[in-house]
Amino acid sequence: GELSFANFMPSNHPYVASTFQPFADEVAQLTDGKVTVKLYSGGELGAGPVQQYNRVVDGVADLAVSLPGYTASQFPLTLLSELPGVLKEKTGTEDIYRNLALFGRDYRRVHLVALWSNAENVLFTRDKAVHSPADLKGMKIRVPSRATGLLVEAWGGSPVSMPVTQIYNAMQTGVIDGAMIDGTGVNAFKLNEVSKYITTGMKTTISPFFIIMNRDAYDGLTPAEREAIDKAGHQAALNGLASQLKVAEAGFVSFAATPGKEVIRLTPDQAAAFDKLSAPVTEEVVRKAGGDAQKIVDALKAGQ
Amino acid sequence: MEGPFWLTAIERANRLLAGLAAAILLGLVAIVFAGVVSRYLFARPILGLNEVVQLTAVALVMLGLPHCTAARGHVTVDVLDNAIGRLGRLAGDILSRIVSLLVLSALVRRAVAKALDAHEFGDVTNMLSLPLWPFYAAIAAGMGLSALVLAAQMIAIVKQGRAL
Amino acid sequence: MDRRLGIAALFALMILRTPVAFAMLAVGYGGMYLLQGSRAASAVMVTQSYQAVSNYDLIVVPMFVLLGNVASEAGFSRALYDAAFAWVGRFRGGLASSSVLGCAVFSAVSGSSVATAVTIGKVAIPEMKRFGYGDGLSTGAIAAGGTLGFLIPPSTGFVLYAILTQQSVGRLFMAGILPGLLLMGLFMAAVAVIATLNPEAGPRGQHVALRERLILFGRAAPLLAIIGLSIGGIYVGAFTPVEASAIGAGLILLLAVGLRRLDFRGFAAALVETVRTSAMLYMVVIGADVLNPFLAVTHIPDALGQALTAAGLGSYGTLALIVLGYVVLGMFLDSLSMLVVTIPIVFPIIQTLGFDPIWFGVVAVIVVEMGLITPPVGLNVFVVRGVAPEVPMMTIFRGVTPFLIAMILGLLLIIAFPGIATVIPNSMFGR
Ligand code: NA
Ligand code: NA
Repeated sequence: GELSFANFMPSNHPYVASTFQPFADEVAQLTDGKVTVKLYSGGELGAGPVQQYNRVVDGVADLAVSLPGYTASQFPLTLLSELPGVLKEKTGTEDIYRNLALFGRDYRRVHLVALWSNAENVLFTRDKAVHSPADLKGMKIRVPSRATGLLVEAWGGSPVSMPVTQIYNAMQTGVIDGAMIDGTGVNAFKLNEVSKYITTGMKTTISPFFIIMNRDAYDGLTPAEREAIDKAGHQAALNGLASQLKVAEAGFVSFAATPGKEVIRLTPDQAAAFDKLSAPVTEEVVRKAGGDAQKIVDALKAGQ
Repeated sequence: MEGPFWLTAIERANRLLAGLAAAILLGLVAIVFAGVVSRYLFARPILGLNEVVQLTAVALVMLGLPHCTAARGHVTVDVLDNAIGRLGRLAGDILSRIVSLLVLSALVRRAVAKALDAHEFGDVTNMLSLPLWPFYAAIAAGMGLSALVLAAQMIAIVKQGRAL
Repeated sequence: MDRRLGIAALFALMILRTPVAFAMLAVGYGGMYLLQGSRAASAVMVTQSYQAVSNYDLIVVPMFVLLGNVASEAGFSRALYDAAFAWVGRFRGGLASSSVLGCAVFSAVSGSSVATAVTIGKVAIPEMKRFGYGDGLSTGAIAAGGTLGFLIPPSTGFVLYAILTQQSVGRLFMAGILPGLLLMGLFMAAVAVIATLNPEAGPRGQHVALRERLILFGRAAPLLAIIGLSIGGIYVGAFTPVEASAIGAGLILLLAVGLRRLDFRGFAAALVETVRTSAMLYMVVIGADVLNPFLAVTHIPDALGQALTAAGLGSYGTLALIVLGYVVLGMFLDSLSMLVVTIPIVFPIIQTLGFDPIWFGVVAVIVVEMGLITPPVGLNVFVVRGVAPEVPMMTIFRGVTPFLIAMILGLLLIIAFPGIATVIPNSMFGR
């Protein structure tokens, strides 16, 4: 049968050609066309990333892409991977896949098809160059998640949470002084127009992406078809990370090439000043999470 | 509306909820106001304020909905009202309520299920960990009471034998 | 379910006096039911309801509506329009023109057309009625004036277009200024024409002495100051639009209570009225959000793209077809959803034809905005009806017609003279 795949991103987003369409093609190929995946891009099945998890739980879509961070309470274990210093940007997805079974408890309501780590969040600032935590003191910084908020607070900034679509206007008018977002934000959200500096090099949060599937839809497949979905999903995860890293790096390059703009790549010493403040954040979150949290973090770090 | 006790009960509930919604609206203005003051006077933004604001809006709208439905405050197209005649208007007023009741009852059942589900799995907001189930329950309550209001209006229309 | 059947059902339900929100809800639900089954269909309703009412950007609506209601209960709006009438009442349709100007000013801080129409309409429509203005002219001017919200920066429409097409938001914002002013001018011209052809629609006032005019201006000053603070605050970066709406509503409440212009009764009336209007507006948004997935699942945009490629017309022929396609889609779809779904399909075609992408952004925003005032699903017409419930829907749709013609004229001018859109961004940022 045909499975519907909800994608809140527009059909010309780099993810579609690099990750989602190849996933659909591979599923069709592995099942000899018995299972096909139809992409609904641009939020055709419902707009925005926030409700995609609910749409899959309820069967509005069979498959969907989203970020577990939007429904963080459902993914306490998965989101341990987001904490600073847990995953390395380049190898994050492989480390996740080696330990995928550890996240099982998070996926009681949906089937996890693909999970990949993202390009790391970096600091965009409006008009102040940030080289040290002291530079950040009192600056109002938009954060994408609670963990990132704690991180910015530890560095000395004032975290503000707001939807990603509002960053542009808030930065332009000066309601916020900066934003934490991954490097794809240079182009995807046009932050190159409203920021002079990007600071990178310190350990920061990494907001993972996933593709999830409705449980009944997954259980309705034959064992061979399920295997095909999972295999195509693993490949999609690898493609997803590769695509994000490529887009983010291209963003940094074009940003740096623009007159008057600078990508500040911290020296190891400068980065250490941030990382010293970040380490207790990770420890604290892991300690509060309790249960197997420490074990999972150790396992994720072990591969590096 | 006068008549059986259940009509009076619906009417009271509507007014009570609308009053509650009005209080919530005032609260909404106050917290956002306070958020600005806190940011400027104390250089201290309130992290997660947007979550409070968003959930407050859910309560505001859903608690106000039955009152709006009872006051027939919803936008309707009256372009062909004269053309369809007296019987057409009567039939329309009954049919539109039957259709709305069917759709709203499906919505309410799903919203109740969603509230139970959100309670069971502990769905909460990201920053402040506010529980989500009461807000799905608010959707069920607001839409459900609106459905009751439509049913009451339908009974009144059938009894009078003419459109509202 | 075939989409044509769905659209026929939507028409039938609306004609049979089903509230538009429930009609859209029913057709969206029914369509999804047949396509994806009952669980998915009812889930769409719950998810979209939750998403619409928890939408952060929409929260300005209840708060600006509250501002309008308090201003009206406390007599501040009356003072404002007394002053406006003293200053511009001598000109035919002067109040309607100043309301269009009010929409343009509000558009300069609000990114949303619906919020613009609601906020200005709430204050302006009852006041114009008081001065004897025709319902068609007053509601039409507001419904149309509201569409400036998207064209005059800031604009959620331009931000979305920029993200979808990898264009610069700054350039698009700059490109929207002249066309926004052009449309504002054309709307005012439309008001003048209507008032000249039908003097009863926009009656003239007496000449008022300067001294008297200054006194009236002084009485209008409190409301103007609060609006100025709230709007100016966004401009200088003191607060976000949501914060500005709360500051505006909060200050007007404090002022009204402080000056004893509002007793408890009036206070409660303003609050409950706001609750009712908000519920009505959000319900319309929920209905549109439930209808959209069904229409999208039926692949109208894909068909549109294929038809365009197959037609093989020249560049302006294709452009005409695209514009026409948008007008048709705009009859049913909400403007933001329309952009997200169609732009990725249409934009590559536009680029191949060699049109300026920034200029096309302006064209696209104007045509999707036209959808807000075309029947049967005209969101701005609905919300104006919501704030002026005593005016028949037919009167509003008839009232916006001259303004729709003005928009078409503006669009043709921008197509004939692309410089209207491109001259500011090109001179600021280079080509
Ligand atoms: Na605007
Ligand atoms: Na329309």
